[in-house]
Amino acid sequence: MVMYDDVPMSDSSGEFDMLLNMGPQHPSTHGVFRMLLKIDGEVVTDAEPHIGYLHRGSEKLSEFEQYHQVITLMDRLDYLSNFNNEWVYCRAVEKLIGVIVPERAEYIRVILGELNRIASHLLFIGTFGLDIGAMTPVMFAFRARERIQSLFESVSGARMMHNYFHIGGLKEDLPEDFSVNISRLIPRLRQDMEETDRLLSFNELFVSRTKGVGVMSKDMAINYGWTGPGLRACGVKYDVRKAETYSVYDRFDFEIPTTLDGDCWDRYFVRVMEIYESLSIVEQALEQMQEGPVNAMGRRLVRPAKNDVYVKAENPRGEIGIYLVSDGSDKPYRLKVRPPSFCNLSALKELITDSYIADAVVILGSLDIVLGEVDR
Amino acid sequence: MLSSIKGMFVTFKSTFKRPVTDEYPNKRKPVEPRFMGFPGLTWDYKVIEPYCTACMVCIRNCPTQCMTASMKDNVLHKEEKSHRKKIVDHFEINLNRCILCGICVEVCNFDAIVMSHEHEKSVHERNGDRVDLIGLLDIGKRFQRDTKWIPPSELKKKPIVNDKNLTTIIAPLDTDGV
Amino acid sequence: MTGLDILVLTATLFSVFTALSVAVLSLIWIERKLLGRLQRRLGPTRTGPFGLLQPVADGIKLLVKEDLVPSWADKIIFWTAPLLVIVPSFMIWVTIPISRNLVVENLDLGLFVIVALLVLSILGLVLAGWGSANKYGAIGSLRAAAQLVSYEVPLVLVVISVTVISGSMDLRVISAIQMPLDIAQPILDEAHSSFSNFNHVGLPLIFIFPLGLFIFLLAGLAEVGRTPFDIYFAESEIVGGPFVEYSGAHWSVFFLAEYMNTFAVAALAGLLFLGGWYGPILPEWTWFLIKTYLFVVIIFWIRGTFPRLRIDQLMAFGWKVLMPLSLMAVIIAAIYRFYNWPEWSLTLMSLSGLIMVGLAFYLRYTRPVLRLAEKYGHRSRGARNVI
Repeated sequence: MVMYDDVPMSDSSGEFDMLLNMGPQHPSTHGVFRMLLKIDGEVVTDAEPHIGYLHRGSEKLSEFEQYHQVITLMDRLDYLSNFNNEWVYCRAVEKLIGVIVPERAEYIRVILGELNRIASHLLFIGTFGLDIGAMTPVMFAFRARERIQSLFESVSGARMMHNYFHIGGLKEDLPEDFSVNISRLIPRLRQDMEETDRLLSFNELFVSRTKGVGVMSKDMAINYGWTGPGLRACGVKYDVRKAETYSVYDRFDFEIPTTLDGDCWDRYFVRVMEIYESLSIVEQALEQMQEGPVNAMGRRLVRPAKNDVYVKAENPRGEIGIYLVSDGSDKPYRLKVRPPSFCNLSALKELITDSYIADAVVILGSLDIVLGEVDR
Repeated sequence: MLSSIKGMFVTFKSTFKRPVTDEYPNKRKPVEPRFMGFPGLTWDYKVIEPYCTACMVCIRNCPTQCMTASMKDNVLHKEEKSHRKKIVDHFEINLNRCILCGICVEVCNFDAIVMSHEHEKSVHERNGDRVDLIGLLDIGKRFQRDTKWIPPSELKKKPIVNDKNLTTIIAPLDTDGV
Repeated sequence: MTGLDILVLTATLFSVFTALSVAVLSLIWIERKLLGRLQRRLGPTRTGPFGLLQPVADGIKLLVKEDLVPSWADKIIFWTAPLLVIVPSFMIWVTIPISRNLVVENLDLGLFVIVALLVLSILGLVLAGWGSANKYGAIGSLRAAAQLVSYEVPLVLVVISVTVISGSMDLRVISAIQMPLDIAQPILDEAHSSFSNFNHVGLPLIFIFPLGLFIFLLAGLAEVGRTPFDIYFAESEIVGGPFVEYSGAHWSVFFLAEYMNTFAVAALAGLLFLGGWYGPILPEWTWFLIKTYLFVVIIFWIRGTFPRLRIDQLMAFGWKVLMPLSLMAVIIAAIYRFYNWPEWSLTLMSLSGLIMVGLAFYLRYTRPVLRLAEKYGHRSRGARNVI
């Protein structure tokens, strides 16, 4: 039921709640996202999200591109975790045609994927602080993100839309100065992260704004299909990297950070802890990496047999799934993406009802949605 | 109380650290060697003609279909000066549509197209970003000069499949596909 | 009032207006540069050397922008609301003494007039939000009304306590009692008062009555609408609150008023608690400016560090913490004056008040943080901040 202003739902006394439109153009709805709120004073009584402002038809477009051209579309789905999107799509095609990726390529994919996870979480920390009103952690977080993006530029040629993971491995090997760059990057990332952390994580005002706000219970989270840091903040220890291990993740020693309360602070802090875990994974991967080839395919054109495959991975936002159907030609027949932000967003109404307007913004920020993924 | 006060000390200390801003456009950060800017066509200085033969492989593989081209018979080939039978006649790239993915460079058989380091190509005209052959050759020549470009086929770089150590392993797929 | 007097008065007011505008321009520049440096970036750099002409550029931009008036807005209210906000901000400066003799018109009830004028600007804000015909404006103006009215109470009570300590509401007298006796005596002699028993203290009030400074700064921050109390025009939530439909020259009026109020609060803090214009070598008005800008820098520093409080937390802090504290401030000031106790007793009582505030803050805000740090502190470097 769509809410409109000229059809007020009044109770018997003739009063009705005010309809507030946090429209597509709003400084803190994290993209073009529209939320219709019914408010009674400062308390939100009903919420209705409207999406679709960023729909670009990626799934339909991919039916007209060859398999190696679809990688450019996958980059732009969740535009903050490009490497992870490319990775899951490449794994899907590799599973369809049955090629095994060389080990060096797997290690490089892990390193770049985890660095991308760190970059995505850093952006979340910065913008979450900005929603609460702290304008300084953004700058520190983006400074750290700049360092990571410079490294990406030296590896793949582009800061964001890389087109570097190819079917069967990678486009080309790492540049010669990679080991120097990354050995300089990791301690600096730790430093920047510590600075941002000291400013925000245990700040009393920040904790009082986010603790106890937007509490999600374990059962409700599982019912809504939540995955990723939001689920781990509710106490469920589920991570696709451990539950259904893919690539070379079984060779690393890392923990899955969880917290117990399921409120906004927990969702924020799980991501902070994940950054430190990802840094340790990157260090382990750098140690274990050997020389070798980086691509197993001699040709670019791929004509898989008629089959369908579902592959999932752990994106920074949750579990992304790719369902790929091929009909024997060189273009996919159907590519369906299960976006983590979309499923996380479905619980918005439940979380925002009976909270303040200011809390509505905080809760939406803590869900960490990316509209490119929600709308595709 | 103390966490907030210590937060104030963090900002106090960062006041005295060097600012991280680079004042563009006075100071530009140098791009990395692999940076993918807008595409340009390369010029063969030995034969005095473009490398490109308008074979259309890049145009077919472009995800956004931003290029058009046509070929003509190569006069220099008839004069026995060049090994290219056909040469590019017209070539146009709509830079507004190019997504800088680099697929055209990967598929080119003649090392004719490169991703230059130029990324500041905004113009004031409406369709001013449609670059023709002369403009593309200019971009390419600047790239060749600035990076001392050697064609990859001359470098004989390692092919992406190292046939000695690895053969493509095809494993049978489970019928349920999961 | 002869014609000459009127001319002199007009010239004085004009010069005050000019000086105030220059001060506000400097405040804008300092804020942007300081916030930039706090965030490890340069502030404005291209508009003039070191970005010194940035406020001028801001002003020109605002003046040439189109003034949009929404079609459903109540035109009279829309146009008068900015006036109601900025005129009191100007009028405050008539009574603030910059040095011993530099004041437009020194009133015996200077503090009273200033506080009354500050209250007047609240009405302007509420009307601004209402006249905008915008729901964000309505919400913002209601929040503004609630916040500003509830933080008037501690402000007024602190002012009363300072009056009790010093024995007068005259700003020159209050500054004079903090200076050594030989300098202060001429000022005290020529001041009028029905009590005529000024309490010459000789020390800046910050040493004797730090509780007052604490309450005054917080209540003043809330009155002006600066972080952490800027929820009513929080950009990331209700997109500007009462100011959402104002653009161009209209908005520049609100912008100016906010900075003038900030400057006024800082100047008052300097006058009431740091000893006004007294200082060794430099001329007097320089010391006034130094003390004022010191508080200005502190206010901007707080803005760059802290997130903002939610409206209900803000109101809880105002009514449950600041108001009892300010009542306590009045009582201890009265006890000190009535029984003629020595000054250090007032210091002790103030410090005990501050300790009580710290305890309240600890119980409400810091204990959850300590609990969190216990559970998760080892996973994050940020926990090093929490002892």
